[in-house]
Amino acid sequence: MSAIILRNEIVHYEVLGRGRPLIFIHGWVGSWRYWIPAMQSASFSFRAYALDLWGFGDTAKCHEFYSLDQQLSLLDDFINELGIGRVALVGHGLGAIIAWLYAARNPSEVDRAVGISLPQGPEAINPRLRSASPADLADWLLGRSAATEPVRVEAPKTDQLAIQTTITGFQDFDLTRLTLNLSIPHLWVHGQNDPAVQAPDQQRIAALPDQAHFIPFEGSGHYPMLDETSKFNRLLHDMLSLDSGASPRQLQLKEEWKRRVR
Amino acid sequence: MAKILIAEDERDIRDLITFTLRFAGHEVVATSNGEEAYGAAQKILPDLILLDVRMPRMTGYETCEKLKSSEPTQHIPVVFLSAKGQESEVQTGIRSGALEYIVKPFAPDQLTERVHAILGTLGIK
Repeated sequence: MSAIILRNEIVHYEVLGRGRPLIFIHGWVGSWRYWIPAMQSASFSFRAYALDLWGFGDTAKCHEFYSLDQQLSLLDDFINELGIGRVALVGHGLGAIIAWLYAARNPSEVDRAVGISLPQGPEAINPRLRSASPADLADWLLGRSAATEPVRVEAPKTDQLAIQTTITGFQDFDLTRLTLNLSIPHLWVHGQNDPAVQAPDQQRIAALPDQAHFIPFEGSGHYPMLDETSKFNRLLHDMLSLDSGASPRQLQLKEEWKRRVR
Repeated sequence: MAKILIAEDERDIRDLITFTLRFAGHEVVATSNGEEAYGAAQKILPDLILLDVRMPRMTGYETCEKLKSSEPTQHIPVVFLSAKGQESEVQTGIRSGALEYIVKPFAPDQLTERVHAILGTLGIK
């Protein structure tokens, strides 16, 4: 287990591989752990970090740090403390919101971003996410398979208040305007059967700027990285392999593919 | 949870194997050559040892033979990590006392499945 102390509290993270930096940021249900297959895949070309946000996983449960602004500061402090340079961000749900906000505020620090299950606005988030316990949410969102076990195991570690506070705080942000003005290349991924976060409508997709691209995962729910792991990892690899500044518009889902140890 | 000792000289692969098995719930001790692996095995007495074949200082075979001739470690199952196309080396590995071999390249999840299967046959969960 790797950890750093920020604001006198423990922040848990894991890291794998060497190369350009990449940070995975988890969503409302789960922790860093469900990024393991993506980290394994990316580790051949990237230094892949995954952290637990305040109130999640093995990071400290400090109520005063649960706001979206504080979670954003956590990412900022993490990047600065570890001396991470221009970085690629991959976020899911809450993590996608944080990645988008961070990229909007620090465009020179972020090379590219991938958002999975990124809500268009507060109305796109199923109210059940705020009311149910983390364990119940895991039962609701996950199938029974070995792939989803990391979320199920880690969900009870979550402080429900951290989920509620970040969702409430999301109402203060205009993500639509922010997305339209996001200058870095960014990829928007959404599971077509996601019951927790509503997929963007066609109008919203059509209005995406040139440096943005939307790719639906038809066989996925809330966790495309677990439901269709190989396809997700292949797409992520293709996105991360683009030249810096290049538009992801040409990216598409390809045949399943597995990164192998030589 | 099992205690697994690995010996692999390529750092990226060693890190990936360590990460994969550690987060599959095992205690993992990683070494970068046969000599280190032999020394670590004497100290920690792991449940399973994964050895790369081609390593500096002491090859996987030499390490395996030495482990099998040492009383504290002779009962510990050894599995070789061997590159595809080196089947003759694999036979040498089996003769040196290894339980079986895992052919590289392999995907991380395949390694986990294989290790769990081996541990299952040994009655270790």
